[in-house]
This record gives sequence, structure tokens and C-alpha cells, in this order.
Amino acid sequence: MTKALNDTLGVKRTIKHFDFSEPYWEATKQKKLVIQYCKATGKYQHFPRPVSIFTGRRRDIEWREVSGKGVVFSYTITERGTPAFRGAEPYAVVSVTLDVGVNFIANIVNCKAEELKIGIKVKPYWHPLDDGTHLLMFQPDRDAA
Amino acid sequence: MTSVRLRDGALDIIEAGAGKPIVLLHSLLADRAIFDKIVPILARQRRVIVPDLPGFGGSSSAGATIEGIADRIAGLFDALELGTTADVLGLEVGFCEQVHTGGCSAAGCVARAAAAIDYGMCDVAFLLFADTHVLEDRTDHSHSYRREWTDPYGLMGPPGAFGLLTRAYETKYGLDYRMLGKLAVTQRNHALLNENACEKLRVPITIDDYMNSRIIADPIRLLDCVMRTDGAAGLLMMSRKRAKEKGLSKCIIPIGYAERTNFKGGENLVDVTKSGHEICGKKALGAAGIGIKDVASFHPYDDFIIAIMLQFEAFGFCKAGEGVQFIRDHDFSYNGDLPLNTGGGQISAGQAACSSHNLVEAVRQLRGEGGKRQVKDTRNALVTGIGWINYGRNWGSSAALVLVPE
Repeated sequence: MTKALNDTLGVKRTIKHFDFSEPYWEATKQKKLVIQYCKATGKYQHFPRPVSIFTGRRRDIEWREVSGKGVVFSYTITERGTPAFRGAEPYAVVSVTLDVGVNFIANIVNCKAEELKIGIKVKPYWHPLDDGTHLLMFQPDRDAA
Repeated sequence: MTSVRLRDGALDIIEAGAGKPIVLLHSLLADRAIFDKIVPILARQRRVIVPDLPGFGGSSSAGATIEGIADRIAGLFDALELGTTADVLGLEVGFCEQVHTGGCSAAGCVARAAAAIDYGMCDVAFLLFADTHVLEDRTDHSHSYRREWTDPYGLMGPPGAFGLLTRAYETKYGLDYRMLGKLAVTQRNHALLNENACEKLRVPITIDDYMNSRIIADPIRLLDCVMRTDGAAGLLMMSRKRAKEKGLSKCIIPIGYAERTNFKGGENLVDVTKSGHEICGKKALGAAGIGIKDVASFHPYDDFIIAIMLQFEAFGFCKAGEGVQFIRDHDFSYNGDLPLNTGGGQISAGQAACSSHNLVEAVRQLRGEGGKRQVKDTRNALVTGIGWINYGRNWGSSAALVLVPE
């Protein structure tokens, strides 16, 4: 891979939310990352669901703010983008294992192709959207080394 | 008069009466007024629907092509929920079932029909596999995690998901892509011998062609991917007794089936190189009373080449991480030691007919109708299914079906 990765910040995004994910998007307005937490089992889950995937109960779910730090679990370099991303190739999509034990799929910014490897440490990068929310992306956490 | 909003425009229609629907289409030299006199008469017995064709009255234009007009009218049928398949075909049926387990639907249909026949709910089942991916783009993410959690990041559906999966496999075990290429070439060679394979795909390829095919979602290449096509297939199922009464011969018996949906769905961090085939494979083979070494021909669901290799591992043809070596050690051509997707697989025959290609090929082979690609050993065939991709994981549904000739 010789061509520099596109950070995709120039891609226009309009995201329709499910009702039960609204608390997530609301928190992103303050650049806060909240993840669903199951009180009964003490485990987090992502993506958001209407119920706990561990107990099947809605009342066990609460939202907890987390750091958003993690390590790259896997990644793919997209050479042929989805229609909205056409022209932005090549860009990376990463799956990151957050420190609370869930995987989160997103784009990565401030990252060179040769730097992107499974296992590198990353931290949040918040990309503003037109509706006042922010889109969670990741960037290398070079301080954490 | 009402205006019906469709995905690609709007149609003005008038509706009258109730009952079985009848749709009246005016000619391109008139408008719907030509039916005014007969609508009240028909409406005594039927629900009458008369649209203004695109570009007439309040209906927006669909371009001046017959195809455009036909698509819009088909959209109207969908919007008004006119016509189930049975209604459109004029069939009266005693048992009806729709199976929606993604790429497990074809094998899943066989199992469900067998259960219904054994239970006495159904005498003869016609399994219809038909779809029109190309003619109509039915990509709808409105009920999926995709629209909110992967589309905004440009992760391209299955190729993107398999990119993540393949990278994780490669990092864990290492991966010689030329061996995936060997599978691609084997399947392509089979498609060349299958006159039902999609014509566009019936050109020879080499391992170098595979290696040099353009990257879609690194490390997924173009020749890793299945291509959607339009098509249809059908299978008839009935009890052995009924088949005998009908004088049918060369029947194929489903003797073992199992499926697993949402493998490890209650866990967050799982080994994405594993799938529910580990569980349903053992169950299906156990029910059939055969071991993995007894499998005479293998017809695994193939949406991406690496899915075949992952199934070699999950079914126990080889251990986890040894898929590449297994490919190196075996000949998967129709006359090799483990015939694989002898019709070309979906990747080289085209993904059509609700992904029933590999199932239909296995049935053909066991009936001895494999033509130029006929396998020698027709004691049994193992067919599998793979349904959708879960968020950041492996596939969501796994199925395994063992077939034997009677």
C-alpha cells in the first residue's frame, strides 16, 4: 500500500437513528462515548440493542460513559467504496476492542497505512456532523505506546 | 383518486370494489378514462385498480422505456401488496412457508419441508427459489445495524466484513492467498463444465488471475467475491411412499440436517475465525451416521473463497489454522479426492435463486446428472448454508445438510 489513506472526513454522512440508540447520539453532542451496560451481568454491549443480549431484559440496560480507548482488533483497506464513499478510496475501516470489552467498527484518522496494524493502541477522534452529533472515529494513541 | 408513493416516483390510481384484485393498464395512446365504463361492473366482484401509467395524469415519468414503466407497475404491486407468489401463479396450496435465514434458506427449506411432510401437514412440497437481485435493487438496511453502525464508516457489506475477518485470520494463523486462488480456479473450472452457470463467469482463470484481481476491501479481491445474478430453481419433495406411488425413481433423501444461528451471540469478544458450523456440522453428520472422512462430495456455501476454507476447518476436515495446508494436500476437482462445488459454486456460477445453486448441484450429482463434471462417488453429498454477517463477527447463521441417494 503506497497511496496515503483517506481520513474520510470529507464524506457527507446522514445517519438515521434507531429509537433505542438515541442516548448514544445525544452523548456524542458533548463528545462523550456512552455504551450500553447490563446491570445484571456487569457486561457492556455494542451495537445498541433494545434489550440486554445477556438477559433479554430491557430494564437491565443502562448507559455508561467509557474512555473510548482500545486496540485494533482487525482492519480492512477499502479500495472500492460504498456509493457515499466513492472517490474517497483508499480508506480504512477498523474494528477496535474498547477497554470495556466490546468491538466498535469505525474509520481511523491521523494514521499512515504502514502504521495500521492489528494490536495498535487507539483513542477517540470526534468528527462533527451537521445535526450537532459527533461521529466516533479512532486515531493512534501514540502516548500510550 | 389516490397517489401511491413508490421508491422511484408516484402513481395516481383509482380503486373500486373488493375481492381478488384486478389491475387495468391503459394503452400508451389513451389514459385510464378508457376503463371508466367497465370499472363499476368489474367492481361488483373484484377489487379494481386503475393506475395512470408513468407520465400520464398525476403519475411521474419513468423514462420512455417499457422497462421503466414495467418496473414502476411492479413497484405498485409491491406497494399495494397485490399478489403473493401463489396468487400471481394461480396456485391453491395446503401448506405455505417462507424461509428467511439468508444463505441458509435453501438447505433450511429442505429441512422444514421434510418436517412438514413427516408431520403430515403437507403431501408434496414444491420448493421455489427465485430472486431478481439485478433487476430490482432490494438492498434495504432499514432494519439492520448497518445503517447506523457500519454504513456511516463506508464498510461495504459482506466484502468489508470479510476483509476484517480475513485480516484477523491472517494475523492469527498466516494465510497463503495462492491456496485460496487454487479453490477459485477449481470452482471456475467446474463452471466451465456447467451450462447453467452464468455466462459472464464462464471464462477460464488462473491462480495469477486470482492474485492480480483488483483489491476491493483489502485483503478481499474481486475474485474472492460472489456476484449476484437473477435466477430460479425448484425442488419437489414428498414422502418415499408418495414418490413410489408416483413411480418416481432416483430420489434423493435428506438424512441429516442441523443449523445454528447467532453462534456465541451472547458473548462480546469471540474468535471470528470460528462459526456455528462447528456445532451444526457434527449434528448433521451424526444424524446421517457418517464421519467427515466419509463425505463423498462437498458443496459448501461460497460467498467468499475464504468461507470455503473456514468451513474445512469448522466441519473438521482439518484443524483450525490448517486450512491452507488442507487445500495444498487435496484435489477438489470433480474427479479429485474431495469434489468441491462441482457446478462452479456460487462464486463461479453466480449467486442466484436464493443461493440454492450448491444444493441443486448436489442433488444433480447424486442423481447421476452431473454430465461432464459427474463425480464418481455418489454415496452422499454435504451441502451447507451461510446466512448474513453479524456486526464485526463471522456469519450469523450456519446450516449443514447431508443428502444420500435412495
